[in-house]
Parts: sequence; C-alpha cells; structure tokens
Amino acid sequence: MEDFQVKFYTNFIKDDRYMYLVKGLGNTLAITFLAVLLGIFLGFLVAIVRSTYDKTGKGKLPNMICRLYLTVIRGTPMMVQLMIMCYVVFGKYNVSKLIVTTLAFGINSGAYVAEIVRSGIMSIDPGQLEAGRSLGFSYSQTMWHIIMPQTFKNVLPALANEFIVLLKETSVCGYIGMMDLTRGGDIIRSRTYEPFMPLIGVALIYLVMVMAFSALVGKLERRLRTSER
Amino acid sequence: MSDRGDVLFQITDLCKAFGSNLVLDHISTEIRKGEVVVIVGPSGSGKSTFLRSLNLLEMPTSGTICFEGRNITDKKTDINKYRQKIGMVFQHFNLFPHKTILENLTLAPIKLLKKSKEEADREARELLRRVGLEEKESAYPAQLSGGQKQRIAIVRSLAMHPEVMLFDEPTSALDPEMVGEVLQVMSELAREGMTMIIVTHEMGFAREVGTRVLFVDEGVIKEENNPQNFFEHPSNPRLREFLSKIL
Ligand SMILES: Nc1ncnc2c1ncn2[C@@H]1O[C@H](COP(=O)(O)OP(=O)(O)OP(=O)(O)O)[C@@H](O)[C@H]1O
Ligand SMILES: [Mg+2]
Repeated sequence: MEDFQVKFYTNFIKDDRYMYLVKGLGNTLAITFLAVLLGIFLGFLVAIVRSTYDKTGKGKLPNMICRLYLTVIRGTPMMVQLMIMCYVVFGKYNVSKLIVTTLAFGINSGAYVAEIVRSGIMSIDPGQLEAGRSLGFSYSQTMWHIIMPQTFKNVLPALANEFIVLLKETSVCGYIGMMDLTRGGDIIRSRTYEPFMPLIGVALIYLVMVMAFSALVGKLERRLRTSER
Repeated sequence: MSDRGDVLFQITDLCKAFGSNLVLDHISTEIRKGEVVVIVGPSGSGKSTFLRSLNLLEMPTSGTICFEGRNITDKKTDINKYRQKIGMVFQHFNLFPHKTILENLTLAPIKLLKKSKEEADREARELLRRVGLEEKESAYPAQLSGGQKQRIAIVRSLAMHPEVMLFDEPTSALDPEMVGEVLQVMSELAREGMTMIIVTHEMGFAREVGTRVLFVDEGVIKEENNPQNFFEHPSNPRLREFLSKIL
C-alpha cells in the first residue's frame, strides 16, 4: 500500500506530472470533438451526393469523386493518413499540430459517417420522396424538409458511436508529436521509468469516458425510440 | 364522353416502357373538369403507372400529356409548379412521420404557397374538421389508425388546393372496417365537384361515385363507359372475365 502511494506520488503528483494527462485529455477531447463535426459535415455531404446519384442518376462526376474519397480513406490505415497529412500535405508549412490532426481525423471519420448516413437515407421509405415531390417540392426541398430530418434522427445513435470510436482512435496522434492523452501518459512513463501507473491511468481515463458516452448514447436511443409513439 | 366541363387532361399515345417491358401501350383519352374517372384492371396491367405518369412520377417514354392545354411532358415545364395543382393519394399514405398532423398539412402551403403559418394553420384546422380529425392535430402519424392516416393524406393534398386528385388504391392497405370512412371522404369530395382519377378495386364505389370507368389491361384502355353500362353491359371479353372474378 505504501508502495502504491509512493508510485502514485512520483507518477502523478511530483513535478505536477498529472498536468501531462490534463493537457493531453484536453487535446484528445478537442481533436475528437472537432473531427466529429468535420466528419459529420463531410459525411452528410458525401452521403447526399451518393444517394442523389443512386436515386436520380444526377451528379456523375461528384459521385465519382466521393467514391474515390471513400475508397482511399477506407482502404488505407489511419496512421498512414495522419503521417501523410503531417509530413506531405503540411510538410512545408508551419501549421499547428492540432489543426493537422483534426483535419486528418475529420477527413477519415467523414468516410465512415458517409456510409452510415447513406444507408440511413436509403432506408427511408421511397414513398416519402414521392409524397414530397407530388406535393410540389423539388428534390432538394424534399431532401431538406422530409428525408434528412428523418435520416438524422435514425443515424444519431450511430453518429454518437462514431464519436466513441474516434475518441479511442485519436490515441495514435502522438506519433506526429501531438500531445494527447496517450502521449501524456507516455511522457510520464519516460520520466519515471514506471510504465504501470501512467499507462493504466490513461487506459482508465479512456474507459471511463467511453462508458459515460455509451451510457449517453443508450439513453439517446431509448429517447428516440419512444418519441412519436 | 361527358360534356360537363373543359378538358383538363388530353392524353395522346402515352407509352411507358421499363426496359423492354412496355407497360403503357399508346394510351389516349381525355379527362374533363368535374369527372370522377375510376380505373380498374388486373394486377400489373399498368394502372399505377398510368396514374403516376399524370403527375410525372413516371416519365413517359413517348406520347404527350396536355394539362389545361399545356404539354407537361415538354422539357420547359416547371414540374414542381405543375405538381402543386395535382393532388396524389397513395396506397400506403406516406404521411411524414417526423411531423405532427397539423405540420403534415401545413408544410407544403407554407413552403410552396408562401402562406403565413397562421393562415396555413387555420386552413389546415378547417380541413381537419371536414374529416372529423380536428382533435388529432398535434398527434404524430404513428398514433393514427390506417383509415385516419388516409383521411389525413387526402386533406394534406387538399391543403394545396389542387385542381385534380389522383388516388392509387387508397383503401387497399386498410382493414375492412376502415374502408368506409375513406370512401365517404372521397364521395363528399366528388360531390363538391373535385376532378378525381381513382385506381381502386372498390366496384361499389366505382358504380355509385364514378362518372366514367376505364378498364386497363396489358397497358391498353380496353373499355371505357359510364358506370351503369360498364358493369351491366361489358363488351370486352377480358373485362367480362375480370368482372366475373371480382363481383
Ligand atoms: N419502377 C419500375 N421498374 C420496372 N418495372 C416496373 C416499375 N414500375 C412498374 N413496373 C412494371 O410495370 C407493370 C405495371 O405495373 P403497375 O404498378 O402500373 O401495375 P398495376 O396495374 O398498378 O398493378 P397493381 O394492381 O398490382 O397495383 C408491372 O409489370 C410492373 O412490374
Ligand atoms: Mg398499382
């Protein structure tokens, strides 16, 4: 027990080492949050382009660009994308690592969100589009007023899950020197030469956040299921 | 046929093919203001395709549809403006599940006819009263019975003040005890002079409310007549066979 207290002290309290975790956690949350927003924006855009092409045959070129994006992003490792973003795309520029990381994860997440949203759009009864169109709404008005609100509601739990996935995935951004939660724990380890405390500590923080968000998602799902009934 | 009103639809050599499947085969007819045209025929004969061609949910492969003298199959037609004048009621209602009943009725008038919310609400409540569902205005579609949903779908179309109403088997998805309430709303609409084109298997309704009955078979209008002659003196052998099965 005394041993534990000593170790806790050297790893977290001494020299304010817990600040590595606090700062790292802040960055982890910031990256995740911003990347999810970017991912949702890109994802909805791509999904609308793709399903518009599937339903009406319009927008052949945008559809091809979107398919290329999906293929490349989903066919290459996140780590590689992150490194390309850092060393190739922004290699010559002095851009904040936070921006680089957020862009890389947002663009990556967008590809997965796009497929979630596209299947959400495709699962809406085609009769909804016909009803909207036959009242006199244009295709885009029907999408905006009738199809997308229903889609958004249907995919909200899946989007919240994407947040959880992303939260864990961002742990690789230490590789390009981004100071996130994982990197924070690793720095402590390199100072104290004691892997157990900092790494288990980091794992626990992730676990608690994931469990908390999962509980929220569960609540959200139940809420959505009971409304309108 | 009837000389009651002006020609609303002039349909000439209308063809529709899905791939190599010719579903409508040179259909020509005209529909006048105030007519209640009932379309009957076997399954797969092209009744829905014909009806859906009239509001361009299906694009004709060839032929022309003139509405009030204007060729609507022309590329220059503003389809969205045109569709505002054509009400459509579907077999499966297609109410907007994320909107309340009142919002279902007011969405299009507010967004398309640029009515104020107050005016749209007032008109919608008036329509709800007409079909006896005024107390449902803040309910959601999932809370209604099939018959109630279909009555809402009808007044949702009416809220746009259409010049014609198209019905594609409006009672086919309903439990038998709910068919009557929907047919009653449709009968009242007919009595008020609404031009209606109705695909249905309700032969009693066709006989009582229809002004003209069309028999569509294999993508062709094989017979058309006033209800009395249509049902009592059918001449086409396929129609006789059809009627003997269904009546
Ligand atoms: N979107 C489509 N793509 C391909 N074929 C279609 C399509 N819509 C209809 N068809 C075909 O066209 C034919 C006529 O269909 P339609 O729905 O007009 O018949 P119907 O008379 O309304 O039949 P029912 O009484 O069963 O509703 C059928 O053979 C059908 O398979
Ligand atoms: Mg049909």
